[in-house]
Amino acid sequence: MKYKIREREGVVIIDLSGKLMGGSDADIFKECIYDLLEDGKKKIIVNLGKVTWINSAGVGILITGYTTMRKKEGDLKLLNVSEKIKSILYVTKLNLIFECYESEEDAVKSYS
Amino acid sequence: MTEKISLQFPSKYKYLNLVDILCNGIIRDIGVDPQTATEIAVSVIEACTNALEHGNKSNPEVNVRVRFMWDDQKFVADVSDSGEGFDYMDYLRHIPDPSDIEHIRGRGIFIMKEMMDDLRFEYIENEGMKVTLEKSISG
Repeated sequence: MKYKIREREGVVIIDLSGKLMGGSDADIFKECIYDLLEDGKKKIIVNLGKVTWINSAGVGILITGYTTMRKKEGDLKLLNVSEKIKSILYVTKLNLIFECYESEEDAVKSYS
Repeated sequence: MTEKISLQFPSKYKYLNLVDILCNGIIRDIGVDPQTATEIAVSVIEACTNALEHGNKSNPEVNVRVRFMWDDQKFVADVSDSGEGFDYMDYLRHIPDPSDIEHIRGRGIFIMKEMMDDLRFEYIENEGMKVTLEKSISG
């Protein structure tokens, strides 16, 4: 898994790419979230458009980010969720937890 | 089962991608509908992740063994590890709510159970745990 961070209208967008699964990916993502919190960034969008592959451990990584942000009165929303990721979110009912957007503009606007 | 393909891979996360490519290739070749294809592919990867992590304790010296079998009625995947096994029925009795975000992990078996028609666990003495995933593809 790789990621790039950019900012748009006060909202941080994390562009994830590659494979999102267990192992070291969890630590990398957690550190990214903690760094953002240290910088006072609490409006987060995770762009999954370039994530080629995910499993339930990868979804667990997103949950870690979400719960960490929520505990600090922030939020983490998802952008460009593939059919495969959607199927995992729906079967586990995590679609009721994560706000998902298909357009970056809508995702950013949701924070205003 | 008229067609069979087997592979084994060291217990490293990076090889899950190869299993996914092979599984998707087979499913695409069979020509199942997209929803069924997604459910099979997701479940196979969950089974392999569990075998790699929990069965083989991520020991790269130990292989995960996968066997795909299919005919025009159903698709079956066996995933085997070399671990000590676990009590599947006991696990099901205490399976965490998958929507509970206090649990970071532990959704793999729930996902397989929901997405496949049949899910069986078998401990084979001196070999390890084998999970069998089965799904109708007859449409």
